[in-house]
Amino acid sequence: MSHQTPLGSLVPQANCLDLWRDKNDQLVRQAKVAQDLSFHLRRQQLAQDSLEGLRRLLDSLQGLPAAVPVLPLELTVICNFITLRASLAQGFTEDQAQDIHRGLERVLETQEQLGPRLECGLRGLWSSVLCASSLQPELLPVLHHLAGLQIAFWLSTDCLEDLTLLLQTLNGSQSNASEDLLMLLKTWNPPAKESNAPLTLQDAWGLRAVLLTASAYRQGLQELITGSLPRALSSLHEAASGLCSRTVLVQVYTALGTCLRKMGSPQRALLYLVAALKGGSTWGPPLMEASRLYQQLGNTAAELESLELLVEALSITHSSEISHLLIGVELLLPQPDPASLLHCGTQSQVKHLLASRCLQTGRAEDAAEHYLDLLALLLDDSEPKFFPPHCPPGPCMPEVFLEAAAALIQAGRAQDALTICEELFSRMSVLLPKMPRLWEDARKGTKESPHCPPWVSAMHLLQGQAWMRLGAQKEAISEFSRCLELLFQASPKDKEQGPASNCEQGCTSDMALQQLRAAALISRGLEWVASDQDTKALQDFLLSIQVCPGNQDASFHLLQTLRKLGRRDEATALWRRLEAQTKLPQENATWSVPLYLETCLSWIHPPDRETLLEEFRTSLLETCDL
Amino acid sequence: MVGLTPRVDYLADFCRPLGGLAAGRPRVLCHGVEIFLSTARKQVYVYDQERRLLTAVYTFPGQVWHLEVLSLRRAIYVLCAGRGIYCLSLDQPRRSPSQHDEDDEGSEPPFPVIPVDPDACVLPDATLCAFTVLDTMLVTLAQGPAHWKVQLFRCPYPGQDPRPRGQIGEVDLSSCTPLARSPGEPKAPLFPPVLYCVSPPGPGVPHGHLHGTRGFTLEGSLFGLLFGADATLMESPVLLVGLPSGQLCCIVLKTLGTSGLATSDPKGTVKVLHHLEEPVIFIGALRTEPLAEDMEDTYSDCLVALGHHGRTLAIKARRDEAGSLEPVLREYCLPGPVLCAACDGDGRVYHSTPSGLCVVDLARAGAPWGPVQPSTGPGGLPSLPCPASLRVHSVLALFVSPGVPEGGTKLLALSAKGRLMTCSLDLSSETSRPAAETAASAGRKVKELLGAIGTISERVSSLKKAVDQRNRALTRLNEAMNVSCTLLSSQKGRRPVSCTTSATWSRLGLRDVLTATCLLENRSAFGLGPGWALCVQVLPSSHASDLASAGSAVTYTLPVGQLGPGGRWEMTLPLGPGEDGVLDLPVTVSYMLFYSLREVVGGALAPSGSFRDPSLDRGASDIAPEQEGVCLPLGEHTVDLLQALRFPGLATPCTPGPGPLGPARDPVDTFLAAQCRPGSEPAGLTSLRAKHLPPSAAAIRVSAELLRAALGDRHSGATLCCAALQWLLADNAAADVVRACALASVQGVAPDGADVHLTAREVAVADLCPAGPIAAVEIQVESPSLASTCGVHHAVVRRVQRMVSEQAAQGPSPPDLRVQYLHQIQASHETLLREVQTLCDQRSTEDEASPCATAGRLLRVYEQLRSPSLPLL
Repeated sequence: MSHQTPLGSLVPQANCLDLWRDKNDQLVRQAKVAQDLSFHLRRQQLAQDSLEGLRRLLDSLQGLPAAVPVLPLELTVICNFITLRASLAQGFTEDQAQDIHRGLERVLETQEQLGPRLECGLRGLWSSVLCASSLQPELLPVLHHLAGLQIAFWLSTDCLEDLTLLLQTLNGSQSNASEDLLMLLKTWNPPAKESNAPLTLQDAWGLRAVLLTASAYRQGLQELITGSLPRALSSLHEAASGLCSRTVLVQVYTALGTCLRKMGSPQRALLYLVAALKGGSTWGPPLMEASRLYQQLGNTAAELESLELLVEALSITHSSEISHLLIGVELLLPQPDPASLLHCGTQSQVKHLLASRCLQTGRAEDAAEHYLDLLALLLDDSEPKFFPPHCPPGPCMPEVFLEAAAALIQAGRAQDALTICEELFSRMSVLLPKMPRLWEDARKGTKESPHCPPWVSAMHLLQGQAWMRLGAQKEAISEFSRCLELLFQASPKDKEQGPASNCEQGCTSDMALQQLRAAALISRGLEWVASDQDTKALQDFLLSIQVCPGNQDASFHLLQTLRKLGRRDEATALWRRLEAQTKLPQENATWSVPLYLETCLSWIHPPDRETLLEEFRTSLLETCDL
Repeated sequence: MVGLTPRVDYLADFCRPLGGLAAGRPRVLCHGVEIFLSTARKQVYVYDQERRLLTAVYTFPGQVWHLEVLSLRRAIYVLCAGRGIYCLSLDQPRRSPSQHDEDDEGSEPPFPVIPVDPDACVLPDATLCAFTVLDTMLVTLAQGPAHWKVQLFRCPYPGQDPRPRGQIGEVDLSSCTPLARSPGEPKAPLFPPVLYCVSPPGPGVPHGHLHGTRGFTLEGSLFGLLFGADATLMESPVLLVGLPSGQLCCIVLKTLGTSGLATSDPKGTVKVLHHLEEPVIFIGALRTEPLAEDMEDTYSDCLVALGHHGRTLAIKARRDEAGSLEPVLREYCLPGPVLCAACDGDGRVYHSTPSGLCVVDLARAGAPWGPVQPSTGPGGLPSLPCPASLRVHSVLALFVSPGVPEGGTKLLALSAKGRLMTCSLDLSSETSRPAAETAASAGRKVKELLGAIGTISERVSSLKKAVDQRNRALTRLNEAMNVSCTLLSSQKGRRPVSCTTSATWSRLGLRDVLTATCLLENRSAFGLGPGWALCVQVLPSSHASDLASAGSAVTYTLPVGQLGPGGRWEMTLPLGPGEDGVLDLPVTVSYMLFYSLREVVGGALAPSGSFRDPSLDRGASDIAPEQEGVCLPLGEHTVDLLQALRFPGLATPCTPGPGPLGPARDPVDTFLAAQCRPGSEPAGLTSLRAKHLPPSAAAIRVSAELLRAALGDRHSGATLCCAALQWLLADNAAADVVRACALASVQGVAPDGADVHLTAREVAVADLCPAGPIAAVEIQVESPSLASTCGVHHAVVRRVQRMVSEQAAQGPSPPDLRVQYLHQIQASHETLLREVQTLCDQRSTEDEASPCATAGRLLRVYEQLRSPSLPLL
């Protein structure tokens, strides 16, 4: 009953040590009780209290000069404190390094070796502590425990060099100099702690298992990125066989799927993805990977289906799992970033991916529905569904509207497309330059006209296309004209103006702008052709060839119009040029244009170029024969 | 300015807000007839405005840092320092004070004091610094280890189980790091960060509706211009964060989200709008343009941010000549330091300084009721606003009450004394005052204007003075930098600034005093100017090992004044004997150059205006002792008995003035003097005893070869013994005489009056070396006073030791030695050592009666130890 003796009276040191020890054991038990609580708030408070208690205990221990008999307890308290703190904060910070540093200094204080080693950082401290502790075998178990935490810290902060060195020192094997982290971890053999040692939250062997899994997984991911696939496969297998939570297992399986897909074994990859889906409640990454897999296999239906499932999966806000009050594998993994393989995006991002894939693969009706859903999702104010629209590399919000409009036109819902365009315009009109004044100034010949973002022109183009489908020629032509007017005012040089959107570069690239101009000119030309005003059409087609020499569509339309007008000589000359061009190896269209423009360009594509050329050749031959 | 005295109505007194004028944490806000108030202590008070009484007091487990009322939910959210956010329902039944019997006052306060249930904590997080609520969301700002972290939650209901926590999004403000902190517990920032939510106009946003207390609807053009097309299209609310570093960041809340695993990418989500370069105190939005006829929505068209020192940013949107939108940013300097601020949505910004509450009208360009109407700049923002004082002092928290009839404003204010008041400003009558003014009032105006000009010119001159002061401080700092650099870069060899010491006896009053003369020499290219001080620490060596008496070290700090390049500066310090007549030798004198940053920079940092800035005061006193200045060690010097010996027997041609007095006096005189000064009695007795007791002696042997090598060419022309003596007494004032007379034996007087014989003679040590006898020099110290013998012997040993260690580095290897002999010596010394230990133990355990016997034996052992058996080779 020594712990009932008040501290103030003359207690021999051994009893004081017992008191501290009992305190430590009691706090560890309290943290373990907290771990099992299901009520989140209470659990958090109880764990915080334990942490606070450990801190106070540590303060009182470190308030006295370091002494060898107390050191094992002191280091155990440090280990418990770090474990609890890191698990509560869900990660390691510099504070934990400080705690370890302090602990090592205390060990050296008893060796009276402090001094010159202060400058050489944690790495130097460890080597001198481990040297010194060889004289004191009773310190070794707890030092290995602390070293385990140090390894965890270095693993989470990517200090692999320090880590390897420490492990080598721990194993006492500088000579064979194995650099392989996994091998080193496997050979690390922390001495068992004595049965009467103070309680710990997580012992060195538990840490070792976690470290093994985490480093195998990290290594596997790294090798996957650098492309050494067979090695990645073996590392990931290693990680999958280790001890980890379901969430991590799902990630490991998904990474295995990615690896096998890249190695060209899609069936095995699928098996892993299925296992991942069965395994846990985080379905995002495996479904995303499955869609990539099916896309690679060319199975569009399955690809879209997995994307649809992914959207559904992401709409379920799963409650964050109760984290254990221990150092887990999750704490040691790199921060997930958007560029990572396992990133599946947010619901709106996936919805957008699904819609655009539908549009690209020619499923216009589905695409239109998905776009409408997406817009509803993004604009709905009644529910706080706060999801980011898109990361910077994706399209910006106006472009999503334009893609939606293009999909609707493609699906034959021109009226709905017009509504979308009007909605876009009404929401953005406050930010646009005042149009009436603009035209007034243009008439007066004011030197500079305000720059309008390119998406406004694109919007007019799509509106024109929609009117065209509805058979309203006049409206269509006026929309095309407005589009052209804005396009030729906006010189590509002054892009920086206007309300900044995150990602307007996509539609302001010179190539895209050229294509946009060509599309507008051809669209208007086609409309002139339809209303039998061939000379005006001719003018637009000619201009189109001028503004965008790379676009052959204009030449074909021009050829047809010339033939219709009976201007044979010009037509023949143009035909010869086209013949020459088609005989040349077709240079692939490497430039990329926004999806809405791509869709729009597909509408004005002359239906059968080869037949046209063939027809022309025969007619030409006939005339020659004559 | 005239006519601007508000009607002030004092409502109630509360505790003085914690933290005084620099607190930044007291809050007051109003919901219906209830006023919620916190004084940055643990309480939140609920005050009924109609009945004019306190209806409830909630007590929290920590300091209350922030309050928000969410009227939609009928709930109040409270941030408690180090705990998290608590949520209390406004509909909770509270005991009505009317149920109380008025008579039994004193037994219980007439309002319930409700300790807050720990279950009311809806968001436990010890790192939270600020929060705001917006319809159904809770936005929090936490101070992480490396950066600020913004988190977005679904607003928890009162009493709701907070699990699942419903976190929607999270982002780090990675470009804005909180101030560096010492390891350990995070310190609360001096100035709390400010959060403010703005929304674009849209169908989903109620017009002109206040979200909680700190959200506003911005006009579409300004919103789109500031936050981009995406935010406008999505009609997303935007969070503005004002940080203590001065950064003003914005986050489009709809882009802030998590996909279950990843936090948002800060690069795409967080944008820095502006940098105020002083802590942000307030962010608000207001309407500056008059409403158009056909518009019924009152959206704010101007965003305002106030910094602590009064720097104010106002942003509006306007169209340029071509019709494109462009932002108009304007920075003003309002009188600071700003304690708190508020704006009434009608173009007026109220801000409180220690000297008074001021109002600035950004809509009417300047002070709202002033006679002058400064020209309105482009975009409708005044180029130079004039704040008008409302003559209410030291307001720490402000709240603009809603629902006051047209033209008037009612402010709720909490003063530094804890007084809650309402200030009613009736603006409509003032603005509609008759245009024609009487000559008398015009004259008064002119007088006031002149007065205003006077205060402004006063302020200008004081600012100018401050600038000069800062420039001077900078120049000095630059010089100090140069000196420090040269000193630190020349660690080895001759240092550019050095200090040398010599010890001499001189007469001070009736006593002879050993004084150290320090000579500071500046051989660097830079001058030592004001701010530099020479610190001399005199530490008696006998105490050096004894930590308990470390306080006996005396430190002298002498301002250097002005010491140009090549300059020398001499000063003398008394070393003793002190009042008790005891001179503790050896004494270590160490020198440091100290540059006081406080002296040089402190003046420039001090507030220059008429009001003192409490935060700056705190900043100056916050300088930790180790940061107060730069300390450059110059070296140290030990003054030992050899330097303090006096040689009355030798002619001292170079020492002018009276010869040494005390020891040479007649014994009778000494006796009389001792009678007159009871404090010095032991010294007198010692000298008397010294004359009649057999002298004690100690010696040390040094091999002649070693000595020759060490002395080098210094012993040329004299015998080795003479040279050795000269070398030992080199720092003494009598050195020249010793050299001149080529003495091999001198007799001096120790500071305690005992005679000291110092003899050097050549001896041969036979048994040691197989090769034959070794020539050595024996230096013998002999004195009737044991203390003097020990002291001088110690000094000699110390020098010889130093010489040996110097020679060992470069000298040849020692000759062959007879190992057996060495063993023998070691064994005998070990037995002596053991004996000493047992004697010491005996002494400590023995009772007081018989110390003499032990002491005698100890003395014998000491003498045996001192008898030279082994020369230093």
